[in-house]
Amino acid sequence: MTNSPSPEGADNGTSSLGEMRERLALLRDSVKRFAACEVHVKRGRALRGTRPGYDPDVWREMAELGWLGTMIPERLGGSGLGCAEMAVIGEGLGYALLPEPVTAAVVLAGGALVYGENEALKSELLPALAEGRLVPALAWRENVHRAELLAVDTRAEKTARGVRISGGKCLVVGGASADGFVVSAQGPDGLALYWIPAAAAAPGLSFRELPDGRPVADLALDGVEVADNQRIAGPGVAAAALTRAFDEALIVTSAELLGVCTRALEITLDYLRTRVQFGKPIGSFQALQHRAVDLYIQQRICRHALDDVLSCLQDPELQLDVRSALASRIKARCADASLRITRDAIQMHGAMGYSDECDIGLYLKRAITLSMWLGGADVHRRRYAKLALRELAD
Amino acid sequence: MNDDDFRMEVRQFIEKNYPTELRFMPRRPRWREIKPWVMQLIEKGWSAPHWPTEYGGMGLSPGKLLIFMDEQERWGVARAQDQGVVQLGPIVIRYGTEEQKRTLLPKMRTYETIWCQGYSEPNAGSDLASLATVALIEGDDFVINGRKIWTSSAMDATHFYLLVRTDKTAKKQQGISFLLVDMKTPGITVRGIKNISGSTEFCEVTLDNVRTPRRNMVGELNQGWTVAKGLLGFERINSGSPRRAAFAFNRLEALARERGLFKDAGFVERYTQLHLDVADLKAVYLHFADLMTRGETLGADLSILKILSLETYQRITEFMLEASGDLGLTVHAGGDEEGVDALTPFLVARSGTIAAGTTEIQRNITAKHVLNLPV
Repeated sequence: MTNSPSPEGADNGTSSLGEMRERLALLRDSVKRFAACEVHVKRGRALRGTRPGYDPDVWREMAELGWLGTMIPERLGGSGLGCAEMAVIGEGLGYALLPEPVTAAVVLAGGALVYGENEALKSELLPALAEGRLVPALAWRENVHRAELLAVDTRAEKTARGVRISGGKCLVVGGASADGFVVSAQGPDGLALYWIPAAAAAPGLSFRELPDGRPVADLALDGVEVADNQRIAGPGVAAAALTRAFDEALIVTSAELLGVCTRALEITLDYLRTRVQFGKPIGSFQALQHRAVDLYIQQRICRHALDDVLSCLQDPELQLDVRSALASRIKARCADASLRITRDAIQMHGAMGYSDECDIGLYLKRAITLSMWLGGADVHRRRYAKLALRELAD
Repeated sequence: MNDDDFRMEVRQFIEKNYPTELRFMPRRPRWREIKPWVMQLIEKGWSAPHWPTEYGGMGLSPGKLLIFMDEQERWGVARAQDQGVVQLGPIVIRYGTEEQKRTLLPKMRTYETIWCQGYSEPNAGSDLASLATVALIEGDDFVINGRKIWTSSAMDATHFYLLVRTDKTAKKQQGISFLLVDMKTPGITVRGIKNISGSTEFCEVTLDNVRTPRRNMVGELNQGWTVAKGLLGFERINSGSPRRAAFAFNRLEALARERGLFKDAGFVERYTQLHLDVADLKAVYLHFADLMTRGETLGADLSILKILSLETYQRITEFMLEASGDLGLTVHAGGDEEGVDALTPFLVARSGTIAAGTTEIQRNITAKHVLNLPV
């Protein structure tokens, strides 16, 4: 199993890399224009600690640009595109610290719906998501200390018309304003995914704040009634649907982290060039130059590793485990790199870096938030090892 | 011929003809060891892959050059003493007179002349432009006095190309010339320098009133710095190839099997990290290889590949040494004991971040020319 095209496979890899880049150039330009920084960083700063923590008008703008329907099939109102396109958008989200929960709603929750098997529900919900009229959230995690995607304690007990769901979910990103929740539960015959509209979920919702100031929800489910026709995916499909949505969210989140890295580095280099001490710009001191180069190298690694992963994803015969390994690989890389870059960036800004007024701290907190969401670097290296390193199983 | 077919042709030739005992050598081979293989390449017309065909080269495109290099590295083909063909040949092709091309290139390509490079000096390493080996004009000759150091494989060379100072009054780079010298010329002393990994591949070359005809200057007087500066794209990318790291990682895996280390969770964690480091290094290499294959110029940011590639290689050998535990005490540098040798790769890897531009210099270059930080 290949985790990346090695140089001996470079012949297959190189042309697809170049083609991919050209195909995405237009989208990249449009995202760049939208994400032109100052406005969004200011906006996000002001929305910290509030709910829903983002701007519904901006959400609608994103819908109009087609962003929200990127990965939704065309017959359901989307563009029928893939991770490569979503990653371009993700990078813009991270670069400009956009507060809108695009990845959580579109890739994670939206993905679970798309890869599920309930066509009627898809027809009802996905066009609305693409048009910006419906914001879903995925509630999978149950334990603050442990992240188990497929082993859940939340139970769905059979009733006359469906199931009754009881359990507790935590850290639901995008849950603070969701119109409905995709919930994973152990059903009568195995793992299943259900749709719970906001009204039914509301009594059990409570909120916390993420390190970057955005809200996150906990969801207590106490015998919530869900009809059969609200089951998104049953045993046999649920695990694969959930895993794929999870992996794609990992990849797009990695792209967000790349955007965070890129902008944090730009800000820091500007500072090094302009801050004068001892009669010189501090960027002329070799210690800081070498440190900046090392951060630049980290950003470049993320960029090219992400390109490599996205290129591998274009294989039409890609196996589930390979996608998961690729997703964990890139998440681990971008998590490590972004924490290092933003940490060092604070240091290189001196006292200004420690002030809330300076934007660089916002980048650090977004890096922390996204690095930890869906599992941090160590979790994903372990996941990668389990999936990809055959020598360990021998 | 398309790339895939070319790759197969190269692969088959290498697998059929390259001596098995010379695969993945931990050190540079001596000429007597590698000569039979080089003779086969010459006979095939493959000894100068990047030279234009009019000079007997293969005239390969950048993409095919990469493939040619890649296949050699994949099989662990050792680099012969090829500085003549790789460095001097293109220099002569670009800056040489017609007579120089006529007299020098054919023998260079067939290894009838074997060249070594004299750039560094005891007091001119990173600061090469401060070199002090002097060449004075006397009639039809240059008379050279000075010392060169870290000259690879000078003991096997028949000829020598070097940078000398021909104008002490000019600014450093402006007073340097590029000369060619026959190693049999009186006044040349070659002393091998044993290195910490146990092999002797670098030499000190002392020049004591060594005469070389003026026609052995390549390029104009005092233009030597410009002549020597241009390093080929594929040579630059080659120094950043992920193969060293990938090969070292394979040895780490072999060591792990030998010592049952996969049962240790702590080992597995660091092993996984290094595995991912190699995978992501390959992705960075792929970016530059892709640029090269599409015929684009490689910019100053190529330095990051060299830094990353050699530091990753070092990290793997460092971990391997650590993981070899007491076993590491039984294998001394350059020895032939059984078991995975973790010591020699570790020592050899030390030179990677020093030779051909230290990683500190690479960082200086990146800071100035890529990040536009002020000097």
